[in-house]
Amino acid sequence: MPAAEEVKSSWADEVELEGGALPPSTEVRENGFKILTEYKLGEDNKKVKIVRTYKIEKRIVSKSIALRKTWAKFGESADDKPGPNPATTIGGEDVYMQYVTSKEEDNKVEEDALDKLKMMGDKAVVKCRTCNGDHWTSKCPWKDTALASAKTADGEKKAPQMQPQTADSTTKSTTKYLPPNMRGDGASKRIDNAGMSGARRDDAIAIRVSNLSDSTTDADLEELVKPFGPVHKLYLAKEKQTGQCRGFGYVHFKFRNDAVKAIANLNGHGYDHLILNVDWSKPNTSSNH
Amino acid sequence: MKPLILHGHERAITQIKYNREGDLLFSSSKDTIPNVWYSLNGERLGTFNGHQGAVWCIDIDWTTTRFLSGAGDNSLKLWDVETGTTIGTISTNSPVRACNFSYSANMAVFATDKSMGHQCEIHIIDVRNADESLGKSSPILRIPINGPRVSSLIWGALDETLLTGHEDGEIMQWDLQTGKKISNIKEHDKVIMDMQMSKDATMFITASKDHTAKLFDSDNLMLLKTYKTERPVNSAAVSPILEHVVLGGGQDAMDVTTTSARIGKFDSRFFHLAFEEEFGRVKGHFGPINSVAFHPDGKSYSSGGEDGYVRVHNFDQSYFEYGFDY
Repeated sequence: MPAAEEVKSSWADEVELEGGALPPSTEVRENGFKILTEYKLGEDNKKVKIVRTYKIEKRIVSKSIALRKTWAKFGESADDKPGPNPATTIGGEDVYMQYVTSKEEDNKVEEDALDKLKMMGDKAVVKCRTCNGDHWTSKCPWKDTALASAKTADGEKKAPQMQPQTADSTTKSTTKYLPPNMRGDGASKRIDNAGMSGARRDDAIAIRVSNLSDSTTDADLEELVKPFGPVHKLYLAKEKQTGQCRGFGYVHFKFRNDAVKAIANLNGHGYDHLILNVDWSKPNTSSNH
Repeated sequence: MKPLILHGHERAITQIKYNREGDLLFSSSKDTIPNVWYSLNGERLGTFNGHQGAVWCIDIDWTTTRFLSGAGDNSLKLWDVETGTTIGTISTNSPVRACNFSYSANMAVFATDKSMGHQCEIHIIDVRNADESLGKSSPILRIPINGPRVSSLIWGALDETLLTGHEDGEIMQWDLQTGKKISNIKEHDKVIMDMQMSKDATMFITASKDHTAKLFDSDNLMLLKTYKTERPVNSAAVSPILEHVVLGGGQDAMDVTTTSARIGKFDSRFFHLAFEEEFGRVKGHFGPINSVAFHPDGKSYSSGGEDGYVRVHNFDQSYFEYGFDY
């Protein structure tokens, strides 16, 4: 009976049946990408779907290399399918080469600060209450003389006077919190130095170029900004998969003047079929104020 | 850069090497099975199964047809690269610590450890028509070493000399016609872990446990440059296209818990060849790096570490544009 068969293959039954079995893995190749979909049981017996996307590239190589590419796999890889086996080949996380030219500068700043602290410590921490010399009050040579007794005699009058005075000078820095860059003395100097040597110096001369067309490449952008002066760093936002431009990019100039020139000239400039929008890069404006 | 992580070994990597064209990357580790990979996409081509002990050294001939491996099971094996089958095996009295094909691959050299009552010895063998009888044929030349053992060796230019690095940091140059020592120098204080030729074979770089890597003239063994670090250097390589040197190393696994930890200890470190100054670091391994190698085109490099991983890095554009301030 056809009706009975239909009932048997209802979706509810299928779900029941599928409970244990996993869907087969599939491999789809389309416009330069290989998409591998696998299913497996993860922890706590839940099904996990794994999708791996590989980019397929064609390269022209010498004959010997091409021949070696056709070799059959052997040993423990004999059963591997063509292409990297995810069990042995893993795409790593992005790492960057850290350039260490500024290492010495940074160390210097630190040392300077430390030296300053040391110098300060010697001078100002110990102060005698009787004679204002740089020793402890108990070790004062005038301890048992008239000077000391005179002071202690009207000490009650003097001490309260002294305290507000000293407190006055310190309240400014202690009672109310001030961000380091607003502080008056050495602190701000140090911050300035650190800020200048770090990555912020780059930001200060970064410009944002937007409204670029899809087909713009790194080389195009470089060509566009090069006439204005030496470029330190260049970043063009790209679509992850297609490699097409996402419509904007950042350019770090070596000199501020060049960046100013570039903004003045390029903002509103027609490029491809679009009108460019060029301005200072955002983080720059916020950090400058 | 997005490195490819090759995870085919179960124990610490001992050596990695590219073939001449750089399309294949060979790796050996303290597990018994050397691997070969396509360097472009990290696909494993195969494994060389047959050794019974830690594989200490590997080499590939210049046509990428034969592969040499020396292991702790007192044997040296010659393999067919295409199929991964053994061509011949030479049994030795002690572990094989270092091995190398000559440039022409007519000859090969290997050095055995000083152990079990046997002294360290260098053997030079003919591998032109190697087959199963390789184990029975006698070597062309045997050089017994009475002093500190050989820890690393390479062929000199034109296959006329042999350069050996020793456990006490000494470097010796041997004449292959006579089997006599031509010259020796002692610039390192501790064991020389690795020696690698520059592309044109006029210079070679040594890596030593005394925290330095040094560059020598391969003809007269003149010390040219010294690259200082704070940690033992296990391997060093010279870029074939730029005046750069990469150093890999780090604290020994056994010392890690007893010394203060500092960031950047397991980085690959890039030095300028001439100015001896470090200009860049690449992080990644979580154990000391045991072997580094530049791709012959200079556009990528690989490192193998105590953590058992091989990492293949393709340089970013910024690496090539990086100008050294001077």
